[in-house]
Amino acid sequence: MAHQFTPAYPKLVPSYVREVWKADMNLLNMRQDVEYFEFGVFDKDWEGIPFALSGNRIVRIKYLERKDINVFIKREDVDRVKYICSKSKIVAGQTKQITSISSRICSKVQ
Amino acid sequence: MKVRNLIAGGLLLCAGSALAEEAPIEGTVEAKCVITTETTGVYGNPVPYKLSTAAADGGVLPIIRYDVISADYYKASISHPEEFTSSPDLDDSVTWTGETEVHEVSDVAMASYETDKVEYNNVTDFDLTVAGSTWFKVSSVAEYGYQKSFPAGSYNAVVNAECIAL
Repeated sequence: MAHQFTPAYPKLVPSYVREVWKADMNLLNMRQDVEYFEFGVFDKDWEGIPFALSGNRIVRIKYLERKDINVFIKREDVDRVKYICSKSKIVAGQTKQITSISSRICSKVQ
Repeated sequence: MKVRNLIAGGLLLCAGSALAEEAPIEGTVEAKCVITTETTGVYGNPVPYKLSTAAADGGVLPIIRYDVISADYYKASISHPEEFTSSPDLDDSVTWTGETEVHEVSDVAMASYETDKVEYNNVTDFDLTVAGSTWFKVSSVAEYGYQKSFPAGSYNAVVNAECIAL
């Protein structure tokens, strides 16, 4: 029943696309009750910054699956990026427990 | 006969070299935070107008474990619920209260977490200054109107547990 998002301090590096940088992240889902995770990129004031992933922003990661997540950011935004976060998504009606726990882990860009 | 001995010797040598093969296992330990749901909470309904996770009210407290590999790398930020994520239609206001407390620690040096915690709105922050595991318990109470009975049905709320790199 755990959620792990690494590295703690990712570095942004130029990607294979011109004017686009990327951070290589990794998520391990050990939560049986969660299969979807949403990603976000924020500045120091927690304002959202536009970004792209290789697929959708909400990614299906099955129980005990480990997935590499490439976060792509425009060159002009790179200096503003402070946090990259992953958040578990609880599907309505997925659970019968009446208090669920949503986990969110944020790495700090160096 | 000599040929047979040579073949047998060759086979033994091959077997010997196979036994000497190594199967390396690699691993790295890096700074990370792992959030684990130890116990999902349940609301008890001790009186018609109240839902509570307290054991005395028939509820179960949600318990969340934070594992950090390195000291001073992360802070835990836990929010108790302020709304239902699903419920029957409610036509009156709901008053929410709650608290997040340290439940257990893996290192005595974490004893100060409870006294050093910072509370604002429905959020409680803990600086994870010691490597190891910390268990947090979250209490949540919802009261409907002025002692008005909650309509029958299923009620869901969410505790948000965050781990933010410092």
